[in-house]
Amino acid sequence: MSSILFEVGYGHFLVLAAVLFLIGVAGVLVRRNALIILMSVELMLNAANMTLLTFARMWGDMSGHTFALIVIAVAAAEASVGLAIVVAVFRGRRNVDVDRLTTLRH
Amino acid sequence: MRVPIRILTMIMTAVLAFGAVEAFTQPAFADAIPESRLDAQTRAKVAKATKHSPHDDRIEGSGKGMALLFWAFAAACVGGALFVVTRRNLIAATMGMVGSFLGIAAIYMMLYAHFLSVVQMLVYAGAIMVLFVFVIMILNRPEDEPVAPSGRAGQVIGGLAIVYLVGRLVMMLIKVQPPNAAQSALAPGPTPEGHDWGSVRAVGTELFGPGLFVFEAISILLLIAVVGAIAIARPLHEDQDNAGEPSHAGEDPH
Repeated sequence: MSSILFEVGYGHFLVLAAVLFLIGVAGVLVRRNALIILMSVELMLNAANMTLLTFARMWGDMSGHTFALIVIAVAAAEASVGLAIVVAVFRGRRNVDVDRLTTLRH
Repeated sequence: MRVPIRILTMIMTAVLAFGAVEAFTQPAFADAIPESRLDAQTRAKVAKATKHSPHDDRIEGSGKGMALLFWAFAAACVGGALFVVTRRNLIAATMGMVGSFLGIAAIYMMLYAHFLSVVQMLVYAGAIMVLFVFVIMILNRPEDEPVAPSGRAGQVIGGLAIVYLVGRLVMMLIKVQPPNAAQSALAPGPTPEGHDWGSVRAVGTELFGPGLFVFEAISILLLIAVVGAIAIARPLHEDQDNAGEPSHAGEDPH
């Protein structure tokens, strides 16, 4: 028990990433506000990044860092486009509840 | 609500301070992988490497102080993430997200991804957080979402399933071992200039060497994202005549 507490290995990082990913999945599934869903997606991307970096360290291979950097850039692009869509939807119908979004037109 | 958060903050600060002191007063990062797991040759190599430079980062570092720091930052990550999922106030959720991202940046630092840790802080806790806050301020609507209704039986079954699945996941992942101990102890080899694994130089060498095409593709992607975001968020032509009116013009009756 104390070895799990005091000897942090690669498994700890993987478990932390898995827990973060699961919380993100729960957020996407449970919440209805589009902004919270976007934040949860960011959380999931970060968890995937953490896994990439853990395996990069584990195998001693720097290409995981490249991949993580790309994921960060894609996440930034996704956030900007996603928030633009949220603003456009809000302009049309005055709420961002994904359960009420049933059509693509105004 | 306030008091438990304050107590939690105090406990976390104490753990962080203690862990930092422990981590910095430890002579070397040598005791990460238990000695018993290494064969004699590797042990000699590790001893030589650590004697050569006390701060050589080729040895996975996790003494007790590192472990305490890990637990503290992991608590920040998970707590912030839970804040995102549970808060109804959007600004509170965003701040939880920032806390989670800062914890994740610290965890990256523990994985020797120094450059990516700083990028994480700049991009997520800086840029994306500001973007979210701006959009929340533009929307400016209190949230009135109920939690999705589900019966007591559904909650119990769902909770048990989640506990079981997470338990299995943790049992599996916690046992992940490096491909082999010797490679893991010495593998992230230093560059000719020193032990800068995960630094700006190392990431740049990787990015502009094998990853050059991907780097250029990312630049095009970001350009498209900028143009697309502006094109989507711009008011449509038929909206332009009432664009200057106050925001209650098109109130949804629902």
